[in-house]
Amino acid sequence: MAARMQQGGRPGGARFAQFKLVLLGESAVGKSSLVLRFVKDQFDDYRESTIGAAFLTQTIALDDQTTVKFEIWDTAGQERYKSLAPMYYRNANCAVVVYDITQASSLDKAKSWVKELQRQANENIIIALAGNKADLVAEQPDKRAVQTADAEAYARESNLLFFETSAKTAENVKELFTAIAKKLPIEQASQRGMRGPAGRPGGVDLGNRQEAGGAAGGPGGCNC
Amino acid sequence: MAGEGTRARPPSTSVSTTSSLMQDVPGAFQASVNTSGPDRSDFVSLSQAIHARRSEYVRPKHIRIKVGSWNVAAYKGAEKDVGGWFVQGMGVAEALAGLKVTDQTQVHGENIPQQAGLDDREDVASQEARYHKKQSTLPRNDPGSIPGDSDIGLYVLALQEVVDINSVSEALRPYTDPSVANKWKDAMSASLPPGYSLIAESQLIGMLLLIYASPDVAKDVQSVSTTSVGTGIAGYMGNKGAVTARIVLGDTTRLVFIDSHLSAGTDKGALERRNWDAAQVVARTKFEPIKDSMGLNQSSGEQIGDEDFAFWCGDLNYRLEGIPGDDVRRLLMLHTRNEYDLSQRSARKIESELRSATEAVKHRVEDRLSVYSNGSSTPSSPARSAHDVRSSIDSRTSTDTPPTTIVDELAVSDDPTSLQTTLLSLLPHDELHQQMKLRAAFYDGWREGPINFLPTYKYDAGSVGVFDSSEKKRAPSWCDRILYRTRRDRLTYETKIQEEDDAKRKDDQMRASGLDHAGNDEEILYELYDPEADGVGEEYDEYDEAGENVVVTKEGFEDSIELEYYTAHQRVLSSDHKPLDAVFKLKYDCVIPELKAKVHAEVAKELDKSENEHRPSVTVVVDRHRSDSVASEENSDSDPATFDGVYFGNVRYATARHRYLTIANTGRVSATFSFIERPHGANTSSGLAPKWINLKLADMPSASSSKASQSVTLEPGDTASAELEVRIFDMHTMHALNEGLQELDDILVLRVEGGRDHFIPVKGCWLENTLGKSINRLVKIPEGGIRKLQRQKPGGSSSRSKSVREGGASRERSVSPPQSLQVSSAPRELYKLTTAIEELAGRVVAEWEMTHSSEEVGAYVLAPWQTHPAWPFDQQCWTERNGMQWQDALGEVSNALDCDEPLEQSLPPELPKMQRLYVLANLLMLFLEHMSDGIITASQWTEIKALMTETETSKRKPSLEEQRTAVQDILAQQPSHNISLIFVTSMLERIIAETTPTKRQKDDLVKKPAGTLRRFTGLGKLSAEVAEEESSLLAMARMFAEVVIRSEKVGSEKARIAVARRKAEVLVLFLRRGEGG
Repeated sequence: MAARMQQGGRPGGARFAQFKLVLLGESAVGKSSLVLRFVKDQFDDYRESTIGAAFLTQTIALDDQTTVKFEIWDTAGQERYKSLAPMYYRNANCAVVVYDITQASSLDKAKSWVKELQRQANENIIIALAGNKADLVAEQPDKRAVQTADAEAYARESNLLFFETSAKTAENVKELFTAIAKKLPIEQASQRGMRGPAGRPGGVDLGNRQEAGGAAGGPGGCNC
Repeated sequence: MAGEGTRARPPSTSVSTTSSLMQDVPGAFQASVNTSGPDRSDFVSLSQAIHARRSEYVRPKHIRIKVGSWNVAAYKGAEKDVGGWFVQGMGVAEALAGLKVTDQTQVHGENIPQQAGLDDREDVASQEARYHKKQSTLPRNDPGSIPGDSDIGLYVLALQEVVDINSVSEALRPYTDPSVANKWKDAMSASLPPGYSLIAESQLIGMLLLIYASPDVAKDVQSVSTTSVGTGIAGYMGNKGAVTARIVLGDTTRLVFIDSHLSAGTDKGALERRNWDAAQVVARTKFEPIKDSMGLNQSSGEQIGDEDFAFWCGDLNYRLEGIPGDDVRRLLMLHTRNEYDLSQRSARKIESELRSATEAVKHRVEDRLSVYSNGSSTPSSPARSAHDVRSSIDSRTSTDTPPTTIVDELAVSDDPTSLQTTLLSLLPHDELHQQMKLRAAFYDGWREGPINFLPTYKYDAGSVGVFDSSEKKRAPSWCDRILYRTRRDRLTYETKIQEEDDAKRKDDQMRASGLDHAGNDEEILYELYDPEADGVGEEYDEYDEAGENVVVTKEGFEDSIELEYYTAHQRVLSSDHKPLDAVFKLKYDCVIPELKAKVHAEVAKELDKSENEHRPSVTVVVDRHRSDSVASEENSDSDPATFDGVYFGNVRYATARHRYLTIANTGRVSATFSFIERPHGANTSSGLAPKWINLKLADMPSASSSKASQSVTLEPGDTASAELEVRIFDMHTMHALNEGLQELDDILVLRVEGGRDHFIPVKGCWLENTLGKSINRLVKIPEGGIRKLQRQKPGGSSSRSKSVREGGASRERSVSPPQSLQVSSAPRELYKLTTAIEELAGRVVAEWEMTHSSEEVGAYVLAPWQTHPAWPFDQQCWTERNGMQWQDALGEVSNALDCDEPLEQSLPPELPKMQRLYVLANLLMLFLEHMSDGIITASQWTEIKALMTETETSKRKPSLEEQRTAVQDILAQQPSHNISLIFVTSMLERIIAETTPTKRQKDDLVKKPAGTLRRFTGLGKLSAEVAEEESSLLAMARMFAEVVIRSEKVGSEKARIAVARRKAEVLVLFLRRGEGG
């Protein structure tokens, strides 16, 4: 008997979801520098190579209602530690595979990471390909070893997000992470994450991944 | 998910020491960490931090809310009046209704229509004359008396009896006919200013609730939820009950609107039923869950009482009690007749009604005047009417004058101009006020504006002021009401109840303890205290700093509300009820989304920063190993400059190497760390650490294969150490290392909870040894030992093993150095071992004889060889073999063997001779046992077995010599094996001779250089000595046969024993070399 009216426009309430992100790529392509730029908006010309896996978090607001928190695992790029990488990408919701646009071989390495991720990682993992050190090419165009079009074509056929970035100038760094956040299944993750203060953060439980992935409909679903 | 990616989580039972299950999944979220800390940005802390800064993103907003209630009694055409009445504020008869709640001089009524305009208004007579059901009944040219149109932000229209609720067909109708509501909605839409929208709608049979919002307010409205509760027939039917709407304004303020129609009737049962109806509405109303301003989802819906502001209106049906209806009608019509021109029909009707009653009343009054004094019952001054109704209710407590008296007095006084006086005399009889006072209904904080208007029920339809002239002549009553309540009102009530309970309990306690008078005293105190006399209502005392009008909302925002108007519209003629409405001025905090987004972004950034800065962090320092004591080794043992992990240097069999890690908490918060399990990879094995490393974290041993290690918590500035020990003692591992199937190269992962993972590469350089090799390979080892051979190879051990892996799984690796190889006739290592043992055994026996011969007979101690025939090879003699010292000694001797250095000198000088001998014996046994082919190979054994079988079955029993020769013929095919056997047997012969007196005597005579082949013949045979010798010989033969002779595995225990016996027999042939005779 009671008729209901729902106010149109804004969907009610905020959404918050937490996702695990892993950075992979050859040594010295700038993985840690990208994270440093993203998290602290800093750049360090002489960074020591990462031994182990650095862990940081960063929250970004997609709009006034949607918050995405990244839990970032920045892994060591050295070949020696390759066998440990599965620990970090295994439960990851998204991955950034980085190469150095001035080193052609680093793209080959990146491709092998993508291949490994597509074979071994979470099947719904969102992968972004980042060609870093764009600043070097801006200064000296002849330093470029990987053509944008080539990498872009590869990214398209492998269904990857693609950006040429510079951790040094901050070019495309925020854009890269925002693009990833927008592709993540925030709706599903946040629904589980927001049941109450005791609720576990969303987007982490592999066990429910099938269910989460199965339900269609991206963020912004309106229940009016 | 890719199939191979699916990795089963370890079963929970295996999770031992470290905190959570998730901890065991490397790279998993570390959920348990710091959840209590304020710095971690989970959703809750983020929301709280944003909420704490709410003042930055809310802005006060002022709106007017108009709540109207009207029982239209299913009169046709009533909807034609709704726009004029409710939206435009028309139809108020100023003479019959106090207009404004507060003093007219106050400033907030800017838009009140000027009184001047009222002069043009249609008079009552002509209004009534054109009364028709198809048209609006409102007076023409009425400019409206109270705010309306676009001055109002929210119009809340509560109607009752939009359909005939007494009709059976309506009650049983399974659906709501939308045309009824549409009729009203159309009428509202036609009257409202452009842009107003319907934000909530709910209907339950006759009750229809419609809420409209101005464009500016509509965008702030969220979480609309409407419900209905039927309390009518059988307690559940919808002919009575309520429809309710909850809205949230500006993300901050909850409003609830209740449109109810309670049970009718004048008797006591009906009154109680009304109270019950109201209680049911409260108990059964439940709204849909909402997200609060912190974005949290409610798990269950809110109810009436959870809101910040509630408005309860409708036909509550409370009557005037204890007073004859006729009297009231007559009294009130004295007032209403002034509205008419006396020639009018309505006026005549009123006059006749009045006449019929007056005489009787006058008579009654005259009787009573002599009894009651005039002054005691004088009503309060009209000025008090501006006060809240509850205070006026309280003030009536002492008025016990018979009710009729007041009415009669007023009638007699014939002062119809004092409407206020009349109303105030009637209000004490209002059942609703009485029930509120008795706490039977609407008591928990509900309040009502002052009633300055005539009872809204019951009139002749079409008339402005003719009270029911039909047969029933129903008594006029204020059936239709608008109550309201703030959150603060409700809380104040609850506090008051709590205090009363406390006082009562205290009183009961005192009474129980015998102080009966205490209670009485208090009662007297209460009697003396008259809230009315004190002026201001007592509840106001409880509001301290918050300010008199501030209502703190459920979510901590500060709002306020003020009632501006509360009046009936007397000149609406289309129903037998008059509509009434109330105008409230509400100030609420409104969330500005843009500002909130900004605060949100700032807070998130701060939390991230704080979280990352307060992330635990440790520094892992590998304690660099200075090569001092071991500097003598040719191969540099210090860390290669390029290697940043733990370098163990050269690792040899059985020798321990230790390295240390220092873990310092270099962060700002306490840090808990542990070693975690690594995945099995190309150069890593599973577990916390490879099997070859014994990991001790802060003096607590961690089994390297377990899934979880001890965790250690360090405060900032503290350090802990981890010890890594390598000791390859396990033959399987040693063999794998020797064969290059395994390397001392791995990575440990140290995890700081909530922080990063540290990778610690560990590496060592394995020094190959001679254990487990074949004789063919042993003989190719040049002078200087296998160590020399290893060093000669380019790239050392690692490149060698690599080439082996690439070259296929050949176990019999070529250790050949490049060119001209000098091949020994027999393994040099075996020769050195046997001669060293032989010699040392001789010295041990001699020393024993010397130290024990002088002892007295009573204290005679048996020599170990007297108790153990296989001495010194019997493991029972090796009492120290499980000690570290033994392992170290074994490692040293083994190393000397590999380096082609003197064996005995490699042992620590403080080690007793007996122990030295045992260590050597142990090494020899290991050497023989792990020799890959054996001195007598499996194929040779097959031949020997055949030979023996033949011998046993032949008629002639061959002599020992003949048998031995036959066996030697077989062995001679592989000379190095033959010589190796001789090394062993001659050593055994020599030891047997040393330890059995007969032979020793003889041997003493014939001194021979050690290590050469000896032949001796048996001498006199003393039976006891022979027995001793025989047992020693057999024991030795049995022991060595097992390690010297290789054979295929035999299934049954019986067969195994048979084979062992045969092997021993063969060895006996060689030990009885001199007895062939």
